Parts: sequence; C-alpha cells; structure tokens
Amino acid sequence: MSKLKEFTASTARPLPVILMADVSGSMSTNGKIDTLNAAVKDMLETFAREDDSRAEIHVGIVTFGQGGARVHQPLQPAARTQWQPMTASGGTPLGGALQVVTGLLEDRQQVPSRAYRPALVLVSDGQPTDAWEEPLKHLLGSERASKATRFALGIGEDADKGMLQSFLAQADARVFEAHEARQVRQFFRWVTMSVTARSRSSNPNSVAVVEPTALDELDF
Amino acid sequence: MHTHYFGASVKGPFHHAERRPNEDAWLGVRGDFGTLVVVSDGLGSRPQARRGSRMACLAVRDAVRHWAAAENAPMGHLVRLVELLWRLRITPASPEDCAATCLFALVRPPGQLVVAGLGDGMVAVRVEGEPARWVLGRRGDAFSNETAALGAARGPGAWSVQSFDTRERPVAAVLATDGISDDLLENRVDGFVSWLLETFAPLEPGARWRELSRELRDWPTPQHLDDKTLAVVWSQPRDERDTP
Repeated sequence: MSKLKEFTASTARPLPVILMADVSGSMSTNGKIDTLNAAVKDMLETFAREDDSRAEIHVGIVTFGQGGARVHQPLQPAARTQWQPMTASGGTPLGGALQVVTGLLEDRQQVPSRAYRPALVLVSDGQPTDAWEEPLKHLLGSERASKATRFALGIGEDADKGMLQSFLAQADARVFEAHEARQVRQFFRWVTMSVTARSRSSNPNSVAVVEPTALDELDF
Repeated sequence: MHTHYFGASVKGPFHHAERRPNEDAWLGVRGDFGTLVVVSDGLGSRPQARRGSRMACLAVRDAVRHWAAAENAPMGHLVRLVELLWRLRITPASPEDCAATCLFALVRPPGQLVVAGLGDGMVAVRVEGEPARWVLGRRGDAFSNETAALGAARGPGAWSVQSFDTRERPVAAVLATDGISDDLLENRVDGFVSWLLETFAPLEPGARWRELSRELRDWPTPQHLDDKTLAVVWSQPRDERDTP
C-alpha cells in the first residue's frame, strides 16, 4: 500500500448544507412542523443515497424557538445523520441562530477550507423576536459565511418576507413562499436538486443549476 | 551546491470521464539563472484552461531569464513580467478564457531560493535542519475551487513572494496544484516532502516519472477527481550522491 495515504485526507471533500429552521410555537399550527420534518427527512435521505458525487454532502441543522437557538443536528455526513424530528414552541430568536451559523461557518475545524462552498437554508413562518439585523450584517460581512449560497423559504402569510429577502442579500434572488404542504416539499426538492447537481458537477462551487422558476414544472 | 528537479502531472478522473485534457501543467528548467520549477492549474470552468496553464509555465521561464539577468531587480518586477508575458503568450485568446494559477520556485546561485504564487495549491519549503513548511498557496478564507489566478487576479498585489537565503544549506521546495494540496494533511507536510525526496530522488528520471505518475493516478482520497501536478526542486552539496 502506498505511503501516500499517511499524508492525505481519508474523506472526500465536504459540501456543507446548513438548515436554519424556525421551530417557534406558530410552526406547530396547521401541521407546518410535521410538513417541515417530512421534507427535511426526505432531503437527508436523498443526500445519504447520493453516490454519484464529487463531494460528500454534510448536513447540519440549527433550530430557533423555545430556549433560543441550538444545534439540532451537528454538521456531519448526511449518510451518518440519525434524523430526529423537530418540535415547535416558543418565540423566533433568529438573531441567535444567525450567530450560531456564522460561528459554525467560520470554524475551520467544522468547515475546512477544502470544503466546497456551503449552502445555507433559512425557513421561517413569522417575525423574529430578537435583534437579528446586526447578526445578519455580521454573517453577510464575514469572510467565509458570506460566501455560502443562500436559500430562503417563508411559510404562510405571516412570514417576514423583508427579513428573508435581506438574508438572501441579492435583489434578484427569490424568497420562496409556501402556503400549503406541497410547496414546502417543492422547496426542499429544489434545494436537494441544486445541492446534488452541484455535488456531481465539475465545479461544486457553482450556484444552483435548477432554475427556481421551473419549480412548478417539476414532477413532485 | 548541486540542484535537481523532477515532476509529474496526471489527468484526474473527472477529465478522463469527460474526455477532456489534463488542464494542469508543470515545467522544470535549468539555466544561468539557476534551477526553476513551475506548476499551473488551468481553472476548470474556463474554455482554454489547458492553454492558460501551459503558457503560464513558459511565461515564468521567460520572465525569470529576463529578471535574473538584471542585478538586484525587485521581486515585484518578476511577477509583473510573468503576468505580461503570459498575456502575450495567450493572445489572441482572452485572459478570462485562459485563467490559470501559477506557483514557482527558483534556486539561484550562490544560495537563494525564491518562491512565488498566485492562487491556490501548495509551495512547501524545507531548509536543512528545519522541518518543511507550507509557505504559499493556502486557501485562507476561500473554499475549495475558489482561487486567484492569472487572468482573474486583481493586479500584482495578489501574488505572494518569499525569498530564503539558503547559503550553503541544502534546500528543497515542493509545488503542488490543488488536486493534491486540498487533500494533504497540513500537519504531515514535512513527512510528505521527506517521502517525495527519499522515494523518488534516487530513481532514474524515466522510472521516477513513471512511479510518481502512478502514485498520483492512484491518489488515495475518496472521490478525488482533479488533475494532479507536482514539482520538486532541491539542492545539495556537490560532493554528495544525488540523493538528499
């Protein structure tokens, strides 16, 4: 066996996907949290099955609700993730979640420089209940976290579209709005397809290749 | 001191699958200026990446010839020359279409090592009595496949240059494109440099190239797909055998 193995990484380059999930009390109404759980579980299962890949897809989940922001699933290969459904209660401490995620993306132990550009997914159904503007400014101004490809989903009429658009920080980037369970699943299918398309491409740092406007044409 | 060099470049599995050429290049050359090695990685998304990397190697060679002929010429002149000569060599293609990283090491008589780099990859240097260190090419705040490059940089300030006064001490420099450096364990760079010199330096050139190419083709990191290019230059006292 070549001695080269002693000097080289034994794992593929990671493609980190970080989900920031609103688990406030309002998410417990109208089956929203159940729909979100099912969609995220599907996404994880697809990532775990992905074997035609240039990158190893890693997934981390940060929730914000009762008790503040917390790491629900640490960043790790999707294939090794033991899915635990999220439960919803409490407020919407988005600012805390943005701080947790910025710290995670800036941590070279958790997201090494050999990783491909991360994907950051924000899902919320309401107004933040803490100070989120400064933490968002910090994320968008940070060296590494700012490079993440960002996706945003607003669930229901009360979602703060302005905040979600600020998170995307691009005038032409689209905030997805879901008013029924099918649209939540569509959004996560789009995220899944975009990430797996990247992981298979010659340059996994390229941005989503699936046009979001084609969502309605996809067979769900 | 006596200087030697070797290198190899292999097409990665992705370009094999896509029936595309190796878009990396390397060059080793000896002259009045000393001994020079160059590696270059044509950026994957660019249509003339292969041309860009090959022209980068030739541009460095030409630039070093001019620069070394002028006494005490500033390092800044050298990297400006590389950029200009590269642009001339790729003409009429556009710099954007040919964008390529560029790393080189020059061992100058009577005892100076100059290393310079634009973009990702690795330049590791070992001066006798000290462990090898990764001195240039770190990714910093970027992620994999994000890099500065000829044709994509923002002026000569994007280059990194270091000079080592080696006097009579043996020195070695190892250059690698990101297909190698992204998978190298940073705390094993010294071991990697030692392994390269101990394993390949004693071989005859033909066998050395074949063995090194085989190692690069059989790269152990799972799901690796990039082209891989490596170049090594080292000096040693003249009265010793050609092994470090």
